[in-house]
Amino acid sequence: MTISKKKMIEMYTTMYRIRQFESKLQEFFAASKIPGFVHLYLGEEAVAAGACAALNKEDYITSTHRGHGHLIAKGGDLKLMMAEIFGKSTGYCKGKGGSMHIADVDLGILGANGIVGGGGPIATGAGMAIQYRGEDRVAVCFFGDGASNQGTTQEALNLASAWELPVVFVNENNGYGISCPISKSMAITDIADRAAGYDMPGVIVDGNDVTAVYEAITAAVARARKGEGPSLVECKTYRWRGHFEGDACTYREKDEVDEWIKKDPIPRCAQKMLDEGILTEKELDALHAKIDTELQEAITFAEESPLPEPADLFEDVYA
Amino acid sequence: MAQKTYMQALNDALREEMERDPNVLIIGEDVGQFGGCFGVTKGLFDQFGEKRVRDTPITESAIVGAATGAAAAGLRPVCELMFVDFIGVSMDQLFNQAAKMRYMFGGKTTIPMVLRAPQGAGIGAAAQHSQSLESWFMHIPGLKVAMPATPEDAYGLLLTAIRDDNPVVFLEHKVLYGVEGEVPDNAGAIPFGQAKICREGTDVTIVALSKMVYSALEAAETLAAKGINAEVIDPRTVSPLDMDTIIESVKKTHSLVVAHEAVKTGGAGAEIAAQVAEEIIDYLDTPIMRVGAPFTPVPFSPPLEEAFIPGAEDIVAAVEQIRS
Amino acid sequence: MLLPAGSRFSLKHNILSILMTTVGIIANPISGKDIRRLVAHGSVFDNQEKVRIVRRIMMGLSSLGVQRVMFMPDYYAIVPRAQKGIHSNIELISAPMCADNSQDDSTKAARLMAEAGVGCIFVLGGDGTSRAVTKGNATIPILPISTGTNNVFPFMIEATIAGLAGGLIASGQVSPEQGCFRPTCLEILNEDGSVRDIALVDAAVHTDTYIGSKAIWSLDQVSQIFLTRCRPDTIGLSAIGGQLHTISPRELQGLHLTLGTVGTTFTAPIAPGLIEPATVTEEARMKVGDTIFIKESPCVIALDGEREVEVRRGEHVSVRLSAQGPLVVDVSQVMATAQQDKLFMH
Repeated sequence: MTISKKKMIEMYTTMYRIRQFESKLQEFFAASKIPGFVHLYLGEEAVAAGACAALNKEDYITSTHRGHGHLIAKGGDLKLMMAEIFGKSTGYCKGKGGSMHIADVDLGILGANGIVGGGGPIATGAGMAIQYRGEDRVAVCFFGDGASNQGTTQEALNLASAWELPVVFVNENNGYGISCPISKSMAITDIADRAAGYDMPGVIVDGNDVTAVYEAITAAVARARKGEGPSLVECKTYRWRGHFEGDACTYREKDEVDEWIKKDPIPRCAQKMLDEGILTEKELDALHAKIDTELQEAITFAEESPLPEPADLFEDVYA
Repeated sequence: MAQKTYMQALNDALREEMERDPNVLIIGEDVGQFGGCFGVTKGLFDQFGEKRVRDTPITESAIVGAATGAAAAGLRPVCELMFVDFIGVSMDQLFNQAAKMRYMFGGKTTIPMVLRAPQGAGIGAAAQHSQSLESWFMHIPGLKVAMPATPEDAYGLLLTAIRDDNPVVFLEHKVLYGVEGEVPDNAGAIPFGQAKICREGTDVTIVALSKMVYSALEAAETLAAKGINAEVIDPRTVSPLDMDTIIESVKKTHSLVVAHEAVKTGGAGAEIAAQVAEEIIDYLDTPIMRVGAPFTPVPFSPPLEEAFIPGAEDIVAAVEQIRS
Repeated sequence: MLLPAGSRFSLKHNILSILMTTVGIIANPISGKDIRRLVAHGSVFDNQEKVRIVRRIMMGLSSLGVQRVMFMPDYYAIVPRAQKGIHSNIELISAPMCADNSQDDSTKAARLMAEAGVGCIFVLGGDGTSRAVTKGNATIPILPISTGTNNVFPFMIEATIAGLAGGLIASGQVSPEQGCFRPTCLEILNEDGSVRDIALVDAAVHTDTYIGSKAIWSLDQVSQIFLTRCRPDTIGLSAIGGQLHTISPRELQGLHLTLGTVGTTFTAPIAPGLIEPATVTEEARMKVGDTIFIKESPCVIALDGEREVEVRRGEHVSVRLSAQGPLVVDVSQVMATAQQDKLFMH
């Protein structure tokens, strides 16, 4: 499989965009500029970027409570995302959803999800619709190691496999369900092992290597498009921050975090592009500057946008 | 004008909508060749094939969730739970996902799905196969809840449910499946949120849900013999709930009894009673009474189950009590 | 004499040497799960199966009276789980290391086991795991058992027998001279002649520039293949050479193939369930010491089927056939020797 220069730059751009977006949110949360709470995707950028780079606009994804990365990677608009997280009426969900419920059905994003394991059956349903209409689309279900223990996930894996639906289950194994390490939450360590029980391919890739994720998801997507059914791709990764901002992270050692920060997928990809002459230092700087400007515009948009009116409460309960 | 069973009316509605709209499909346990556990989908597999009448594994979360996802992707799935009691294992997909997606997403999606499920006691199916759970569903913003009592309403409300762009919980009373009734040849979709005045009266309003509509009509006859002229109202959908019709009736009768088969505590009757009290308490000449099942699980043995299920005599007693 | 319960070795065994024996077990938790389950038809080799294999190795060892195992710590704890399942009295010693869940773990563990003087190292994995182990140890005999994807180097063998054979070698009941052999390997050399990496079965020049998901499942970008061995009935890149020649693991020679669009085309099973045409433009036998300069730059060198060595633009490497492969237990030969020496006779 060849990864074009264009694709490498696209994936890097996505990762950097997520990194900057999440870093800003970290600041804003600390400064009490955003309501509610946020689950940051810092450190896991290669999974969303690599996976979504293998998708087309009309493909579906279901996301998680840690969903900003998936949404950005699937093409989510930073302005609308930022405004939503600020609780503004101009946001993706008019301030009704917030961080955990951003969706853009036009981009195939069937929503971030506040329920761990909530997305599996929905992605399976999207897969069912694709198969029913004979469309050339796939549905990707992002889910975490914690979600892999939920019955909904197991039911979704089973149904997708029994019906050979075009669904790709992308597991982000970051080692912890909030504070609980996988050693305490499951008798196995590799979620990919569970694929065998559903007669689907289960593979493990380095979730901090965007090229590895891209290759695996591309292969899984190709399989799904050919009507060969679902796959499970486990991406081993790590979240740099706590489960949510404000989590003191007393359950893991600093050394462990430091080790993973050394495996940062972003400089790894940048170095590769510089080595291969895909981009020069100057071009990389320009790319960064462009994203930073874009992000600043999103922040300004969010800050200057109006808050919803109390009467808006009653809109959109029913169609 | 044709005589049809409640089940045939449901089956006709499914067939007609599937013929009309290729986006309508049915999924559920044993809904295919087998025709559904109670027979509601009989013949549809033969007519529409496996693609549109699809048997699922025993996997209620995935059934409800797949219907939700497929609806978000543009289909109009009708999923069947074999018994409403099984909603317990799939509730998240219904109340956190299907019901809330539109609102959470700022109105940018529709979830046009129907969840059909039989409920109710009376066939000796005991505690996990006999409950009436409409109050669970009406408590959730984003869901619509229909519970037809007659074949005509079963037909018309199911057409509406399938055409509705919101998730609809469609509760069929399993004891009513064999009940026959008239379905006019020109019967059509019945709008949600329009109560039906089943019997006009002047002395007391009896609001009854689902199978209790028959008990209420029977009670009304008994009361009539005693000189009490009862008005019987079937809301037909509890979400949306047509309070206007109920309130207008109570303004006329100055007296209200609400009857349902669900456990009385925290039931739909409590909601109706509370709204009437909030809106027009000055019109009431009597206390409001609720008739419902006792606060126990549904028992198995026939004499116990009989004692559990409220009936016409309970309604009569309630009316007599408030008027005494 | 204190004999372990259940042991039934004869007096022909040197009891003291057995009681002093430690064996090593390196079980790779990640083997058998790469992208070849998606792009080919590889099996998902779950870790519980590896646990069961280790159990049977331990049963073999116990029956010989071997009582001590040094193991590589891994995130699945394959060896401790194996012991827990059989309530064995084998003393487990963790190799003194922190696992970082990369292939370096296998290399590190092998080095530590060699330093600790284990008598034999069991290796559970595919070609890649054996390669990683060899990088850490070339002196202690290894007994590789296949739990990977393309398995040319490790044995497809019942683990109980492996346990017996490895135990006999480790405890000196069968000597390495009688029961082991040393195959060739391929060395990837830097421009200054230093060894950058090794391969046990095959090294391939891949014209991509990134490692990605590591495995190779298409020949489109493979320009050259180097082989230490080949047979017509193996899987992986060596299967291409196997359509031309048979080179046994004990032969001190290798094969160099150049692939292209013009030449002789063969059908070869290059991954499980993946049978592809391969066009060989040139072929040349390699003798020990032969060194071939790789003109492609940049490129990636795949070792034993996995993209491993990134050769940056302007940088160059060479490939050399070396006689210094690992010392490998030949299970058939060990068991045949045991039969001749009546080691299992009561």
